[in-house]
Amino acid sequence: MSIITPPETDQPEEPTNRAMPTHRLKEYFSRPYVRRILIMAVIIMAGVIALGWVVVGFMNTTGAPASDIMVELEQTVLIFTIASAPLIAITLSIIFYSLTGWKHSSGDEPPMQDSPAIRTNPVAVIAWIAATSLLAGFLVVWGLIELATITSNAYGSTSANQQPTDVKQIDINVTGQQWVWSFEYPDQQGITSDTLVVPVNTPLYFNATSVDVIHDFWIVELGVKIDVNPGAITNTGVTPTKLGTFNIRCAELCGLHHAYMETKIEVVTQEQFDAWVRDKGGMKTA
Amino acid sequence: MSVMTTQVFEQPAVIQPKQHGKPGGFLRHTSIFTGLAGGIVLAAITYMIGSKLVPWGTQNADFSQVGLNALIAATMFAWVIGFMAGIGAFAGPIRWALGHDLTHDDAEYMAGKDQGKFRYWKYTTDHKVVGTQYFVMVLVLLGVGGFLAMLIRTELGWTWGELFDPDFYNSIIGTHGIVMVVSLIIVVTGPLGNFIMPIMVGARDMAFPRLNALSFWLLFAAVPPLLATLFMGGIRDGWSVYQPLATQAGMGMVGYQVLIIVFAFSTGVASVNLITTAVTMRARGMNWSRVPIFVIGIIASSVMGLIWFPMYQYSQAFAMSDLVVNSSFYNPVAGGSVWLYENLFWLLAHPEVYVIVVPATAGILELMTVFLRKPLFSYKLAIAGFAGVVGISAIVWVHHMYMTGFAPQVGYPFMLSTELISIPFGFLVLVALGTMWRGKVWTRLPMMCVYAVIWDKVIGGITGVYLSDVPVDQYMHGSMFVVAHFHFMLMGAGLFGAMACISYWFPKMCGRMLNERIGSIGFWVAFFGFQLTFFSMFIAGLQGMPRRVLQFDNAFNVSNWVSTIGAYIIGIGMLIFLYAIITSWRGKTWAPANPWGAKTLEWQTSTPVPLENFPVLPVVTSDPYGYGVPDPYDAIEQELAKDDNELKVPQ
Ligand code: HEM
Ligand SMILES: [Cu+2]
Ligand SMILES: [Cu+2]
Repeated sequence: MSIITPPETDQPEEPTNRAMPTHRLKEYFSRPYVRRILIMAVIIMAGVIALGWVVVGFMNTTGAPASDIMVELEQTVLIFTIASAPLIAITLSIIFYSLTGWKHSSGDEPPMQDSPAIRTNPVAVIAWIAATSLLAGFLVVWGLIELATITSNAYGSTSANQQPTDVKQIDINVTGQQWVWSFEYPDQQGITSDTLVVPVNTPLYFNATSVDVIHDFWIVELGVKIDVNPGAITNTGVTPTKLGTFNIRCAELCGLHHAYMETKIEVVTQEQFDAWVRDKGGMKTA
Repeated sequence: MSVMTTQVFEQPAVIQPKQHGKPGGFLRHTSIFTGLAGGIVLAAITYMIGSKLVPWGTQNADFSQVGLNALIAATMFAWVIGFMAGIGAFAGPIRWALGHDLTHDDAEYMAGKDQGKFRYWKYTTDHKVVGTQYFVMVLVLLGVGGFLAMLIRTELGWTWGELFDPDFYNSIIGTHGIVMVVSLIIVVTGPLGNFIMPIMVGARDMAFPRLNALSFWLLFAAVPPLLATLFMGGIRDGWSVYQPLATQAGMGMVGYQVLIIVFAFSTGVASVNLITTAVTMRARGMNWSRVPIFVIGIIASSVMGLIWFPMYQYSQAFAMSDLVVNSSFYNPVAGGSVWLYENLFWLLAHPEVYVIVVPATAGILELMTVFLRKPLFSYKLAIAGFAGVVGISAIVWVHHMYMTGFAPQVGYPFMLSTELISIPFGFLVLVALGTMWRGKVWTRLPMMCVYAVIWDKVIGGITGVYLSDVPVDQYMHGSMFVVAHFHFMLMGAGLFGAMACISYWFPKMCGRMLNERIGSIGFWVAFFGFQLTFFSMFIAGLQGMPRRVLQFDNAFNVSNWVSTIGAYIIGIGMLIFLYAIITSWRGKTWAPANPWGAKTLEWQTSTPVPLENFPVLPVVTSDPYGYGVPDPYDAIEQELAKDDNELKVPQ
């Protein structure tokens, strides 16, 4: 095809019918639809990112975040939203543009003219695979680090082969039973209660079990959840950071009155907690 | 796809067994009615004999009646066996065993030759009949599931008190769940996989026509035990029927277990059949780079079903054994493990969601090419995407069990695999976007559904990414957020995708065009209601509403009201869509053979499709995506290239 005389060098330059990358890129971005899609994508991206805060806002309607873990996981929601926003935005803007931008045809007969026969585009394919892999990789790494952090906070201090940490922690035995929760405080002379009362800023460690079917112990505003299984003890932990009364619900269908299997957690000051323990007949701790 | 119809291939003569009597023999007398009679009689006999034999009074650890459970299970299996015998399912093997194997004429009789409409009520082997039977069955099942969904939403919208007894409420959520899961598993592969796929690959029928009839009628036989449970205490444990709660439910659970055990046989048989057909019966010239992508989707889905359905079947077989012979697979009091159940269940139940979504996705990719008049973008990437989904889907099931209380380290690998699966899913997104890129859309109903489906998938995908993170799931697991997530995937992508496919293939399958206007109204009303219902359900979940509850904190009232209103809107939309299907199907004018101007083989044969699909078997000479005109921008590139080359010239 080339009508150009090759330069007179020893090794003749390969004739090419592709434009130089910079030219092609420039030309590409001068196409009207590319520009419009990009503008649309930027707007949608802003919207998606804003949605992250909406999500967290709804999570916070009843007083969350009330613990270290809840803060952490809300942050994850935001980060994940921001990280995936560009790809979501591109996807949505292309489908919107396909609906509104490129030409249409309607009617009962198949359209007379076909669209351009684009079979593939190596640059797009490679860029897309790279972008999605990067995104997935980031999510995995972030998630793993975060999981390691919250589980070391939650589980680290009592596993048998670890030194107890210096922070004073409270053990609580949680028992699920169709359809009530009960709590026992082994460190406080085994006092029991059907609402959970705990001091603020003190790590809690739960040993949870069930006497009948599977329940799921969920302290909503503190962002902890653990299945409560018959014949096994499961553990989790959290540090409440906010005073107040929060919800405990059962999050696993457990029969007839599953919907009513809820109670409260009161996060109080250390002094109030000690007073409560005394009232219940336990001795003052620490 | 270019088709040459001039060549005829010699087929070697096969030695035929001798014909005894009229073609069909015994099968001339069987139909669904003899099936019902056989089922009822055998069930009644079993019940009567069984009630004399069972050890009444024996209780299992949860005090349910072991004897009664055993009796119910035996009766239900007897119904299934009696029904299958009555409809003539065993005629083939029995005649083979007696040395009177079916002849060619018998086989033609079984395929429904010259039997008019009554062939739809018989054990007919023609894949087009089976596909139509599946289609009607799916519509009925979706109707039942949808009705139960309305009851659920009515209860949840009625925030002032309990409308239903909690036991009844629990059993309708369980029944709704499993009915919908079953119908979505078959909604694409049943009607379209059976009816369209063999024609699409240029075959005369499925590879194993009799197994095809078997798979449908097994499913048919499995449904009455399921619905009977509503009158026997119900499935009160959600569709996932976690143990040991399920053991407490007793009798009601037996129906669920029978359903799953039989349904697993049905899907196993169907999967083998679909895979074999697609792999071995393709037309001449249809090599693996020319197979329509819908066929690839059917294969992918069938492979997952074939491999993983047995897990579900075992899980329910063990559960049944706990109920009827007092074993203790899942009873921790007697040394069983509830985690064994959860693992077996999710080993299927995760891949199963892809069994649902993959064929619908492949279907919409197929029809995008037709309505955009463009080739599929990067066919190879699409194949890689499906292959990746099939592969990784096997190793992510534990993301449903993040909160079961295993050592936290167990979560790491499954979080990794779950997040990696979005890469092959991403391939499919790019294929869709690339196919849309600069295409002129022909805005017909099937194509408009495609836009809706992609939107739903995006929402389902983002929320899935939140859920796949263990710490975030610590908040969201077991809440309404999860329910909204999977409805976006299963209903938003699976069911709406199936609606796209059905309205696209309707002219071939039912012989008439689907009424565009009524169908579109129905679809868009349902879509709008769907967004309302499930977006507000996301909100309820984020505010902390657990799933499967019938009463809740006042904080969730508003979102539940909106959800319920949305659900009624979906109901209205779906009824309109159903009306469009029924009235169009009864229409008088036949659709043209190829109303969409598509290039795949099923559109090249006449409508209605003749008994063996093609008068002469087609030969394929190119892939089915030869749409398109030269790209005008290529000319610009050429111009630029000229400039460049001039620049490169010295001086
Ligand atoms: C980007 C892809 C996806 C990711 C990362 C993802 C992630 C998850 C996770 C982690 C859960 C467990 C939530 C919990 O119970 O706490 C879940 C639940 C579920 N997902 Fe997805 N998902 C994705 C796509 C899909 C698709 C394509 C479907 C269906 C076609 C689907 C259907 C479901 C269902 C049915 C459940 C809930 C089952 C139940 O608990 O009853 N998801 N998803
Ligand atoms: Cu519960
Ligand atoms: Cu899953």
